[in-house]
Amino acid sequence: MLWQQLANGIAIGSVYALISLGLTMVYGILRILHIAHAGIYALGAYVGLLSFRLLGNFWLSLIVGMAGAAVAGYIVERFLYMPLLHLPRIAPLIVSIGLFTAMEEAFRIVAGPHTLAYNARVGLGDLSIGSFHLTETQILILFVTFAVLIFLWAFLTKTRTGLAMRACAQDPETSSSFGVNVSRIIAINFLIGSAMAGAAGVLIGVYDNQVWPTMGSIPAYKALAIVVLGGLGNIPGTVLASFVVGLAETFFIGVLAIPFPRDAVAFVAMILVLMFRPYGLLGKA
Amino acid sequence: MALLEVAALSKEFDGLRALDGVSFTAEEGEILGIIGPNGAGKTTLFNLISGIYPSSAGEINFQGKSILRMKTHQISCLGIGRTFQIVRPFQNLDVETNVLVACGHRFYPSLWKSTGPFRQPEIVKEVQILIERAGLRPYAKQIAKNLPLGFKKRLEIARALALNPHLLLLDEPSAGLRFEESAQLMGLIRQVRDQGIGVLLIEHNMQVVMDLCKRIVVLDHGSKIAEGSPEEIRSNPLVIQAYLGKEA
Amino acid sequence: MISGYLITILIIIVIYAMLAHSLNIITGRAGQISLGHAAFFGIGAYTSAMLYTEAGFPFWISVPMAAVVAGIVGALLGIPCLRVRDDFLAITTMGINFVVEAIFLYIPFFGGAMGIGGINLPKWFGREMTKPEYFILILVVFFLLILMDRRMGRSWIGLAWASIREDEQAAGAMGVDVVRFKVLAFILGSAIAGLAGGFYAHFLTFIMPQNFGFGQSIVVLSMVVFGGIGTRWGPIVGAIILGILPEVSRPIMEYRILIYGVLLLAMMRFQPGGLLGSESILSKVFRRTVYRLSSSE
Repeated sequence: MLWQQLANGIAIGSVYALISLGLTMVYGILRILHIAHAGIYALGAYVGLLSFRLLGNFWLSLIVGMAGAAVAGYIVERFLYMPLLHLPRIAPLIVSIGLFTAMEEAFRIVAGPHTLAYNARVGLGDLSIGSFHLTETQILILFVTFAVLIFLWAFLTKTRTGLAMRACAQDPETSSSFGVNVSRIIAINFLIGSAMAGAAGVLIGVYDNQVWPTMGSIPAYKALAIVVLGGLGNIPGTVLASFVVGLAETFFIGVLAIPFPRDAVAFVAMILVLMFRPYGLLGKA
Repeated sequence: MALLEVAALSKEFDGLRALDGVSFTAEEGEILGIIGPNGAGKTTLFNLISGIYPSSAGEINFQGKSILRMKTHQISCLGIGRTFQIVRPFQNLDVETNVLVACGHRFYPSLWKSTGPFRQPEIVKEVQILIERAGLRPYAKQIAKNLPLGFKKRLEIARALALNPHLLLLDEPSAGLRFEESAQLMGLIRQVRDQGIGVLLIEHNMQVVMDLCKRIVVLDHGSKIAEGSPEEIRSNPLVIQAYLGKEA
Repeated sequence: MISGYLITILIIIVIYAMLAHSLNIITGRAGQISLGHAAFFGIGAYTSAMLYTEAGFPFWISVPMAAVVAGIVGALLGIPCLRVRDDFLAITTMGINFVVEAIFLYIPFFGGAMGIGGINLPKWFGREMTKPEYFILILVVFFLLILMDRRMGRSWIGLAWASIREDEQAAGAMGVDVVRFKVLAFILGSAIAGLAGGFYAHFLTFIMPQNFGFGQSIVVLSMVVFGGIGTRWGPIVGAIILGILPEVSRPIMEYRILIYGVLLLAMMRFQPGGLLGSESILSKVFRRTVYRLSSSE
């Protein structure tokens, strides 16, 4: 039973990581709270579903969903955020909120207010060992998320572009004086972060077998709480916080059966951590 | 008792030591120069003294009292004024209003008093004297962002002086100024010193430093490498190496 | 005679104008981002509703108390929140909105999802007020608020806020107690939002938690942004236009959330000063027209 919940918690935590990383990466490099990121997450789910309906293949739909989300993220960065960097930070924040609101409504208007089914199957079947049971979708989640996280880790630590990205997050001015094309790095940052969010959208859509217009609302603030909890802009912190929240949700609701709204756990965890570590688990001043 | 006493002051950012065990004193009516190559930690020093961020270690005593844990506004109310390396007047307010802001803490101590109008005759009179001395009288109603750089710098000084400070921190006041503007600014700084206000002056313009300062502290990579009169500093081999080393 | 429908719209618009004005104090005057303003609207509405239905207090007490309670909660939440970086403030105000809405939704004491009903219009001269009379009442209160705003604009508090809005760090270095003034703006903004909530509750006669969620906060923010953050009349104009449009146009009503979103997006991207801001197309046209008129004399 405990192993079951552990697996559930890790699966959920890994999806949270996929969503939250994009958010923290954008904050790290532009100091913007990219609320519209949750809209890109939902967009990934819709695009993935559409391509699944057209192509009938989960993996293809995953890739198309990620690509769609990446493109959307790029457009947002280039046309909405970059032109506003000289204004006080309230400006891109409001733009982001407006965009998110508009996106959710656009989904409702274009795809309809009802929940759509996204039952992709890979032919793997479920995994059962005694009372330990992993559904096919859970296996897919674990596989995809860990593959993505490993790729991200390798990218950030082993490639020159990845190192440049980390340098920019620390200090864009100095980095550019070392020959780093900051503008290109920002674009890549958004592409990767948005693609990950799109993947998360597809995975959750398949896991819940549900895609609906406001599916981004809860991840919008939950991802924010996770990112703050881990340390704004701090990538390892965000990953850690994602798993903390995923496991906390699963244990408090699943194991301890406390009558507490599941989605509030992230927020409560954030407040608790902020009281002792005002910059988040791994954040610095 | 020294006006300002800095002892073993250190500041770390994310593992990077911006300041390492810096100690010196500053006196009233004296201009102390703070020089050093780029990245030496000079502006960090000012930010620590004015409370913009907390120090990692060491002591800062102003008029005998520790100001280490104080907030920025408390420190300015005690009597430490400053200007900024990249000039920052309140851009959309006019010159007179800019200086009025700094008078606030003296004339509106309580919440109730704060509901009173900010343009009271006695305060405006004081402000006008300050503006006059900074040579900005014809521009009193000009919006700050429309002023040329030299005037903005003078505005910053007038604004800081409105705090009735005992100590003034000036961060590269002559940067970006032409020769005549710079000379005028130096005249203003001398006036300030002659009033009995202590001045800490960060400068890259060596001519200005040698001319104005009675003593000079030299920082390099966060540590103090020399302290003394302008003649002593000029001939100090460590100082020469620090600057030359950067250019080499 | 003025139709009942028109009066209803006018009353709602004045309430929104009050709400937008109160958000403008926090966001426009003091420069602090608040994404959960509807929470204080709700706290005011529920305070008024509960004092009236549970404790039997009349309107003339329940509504001022709505302002007081909302202001107190604003103080309690504002003091810790405003000490942190402004990015945190955005998140915490969002969170406050969610938590407050959840409290109203889940705790049975507040009526749960069904909300609270049976809140009547005030009584005076031995009878219930008519809607037109109620309109006059809140209009008077609203103008008093505008007068207070003008007084604040000339006061030291107003100047302190302006300096914080311009450059928080420099303001601190010039002796301005930044946190104290931010909290003051927050308390004032919350109290007025609470007042608007009290008026709302007594007019609508029933309130539900959904009226005070994040969506409502976005609506109010749109009004402020559209009209012009920081200007005196901008948020009011925003409230009027965005309040009337959905009522006069069915398609706009259908898509109004989309419109609010696009409006926020487009305004901030292209005309951050809003309709009445100094850089806006409207202002420029206005100035050009005035110039042409005065130079032709």
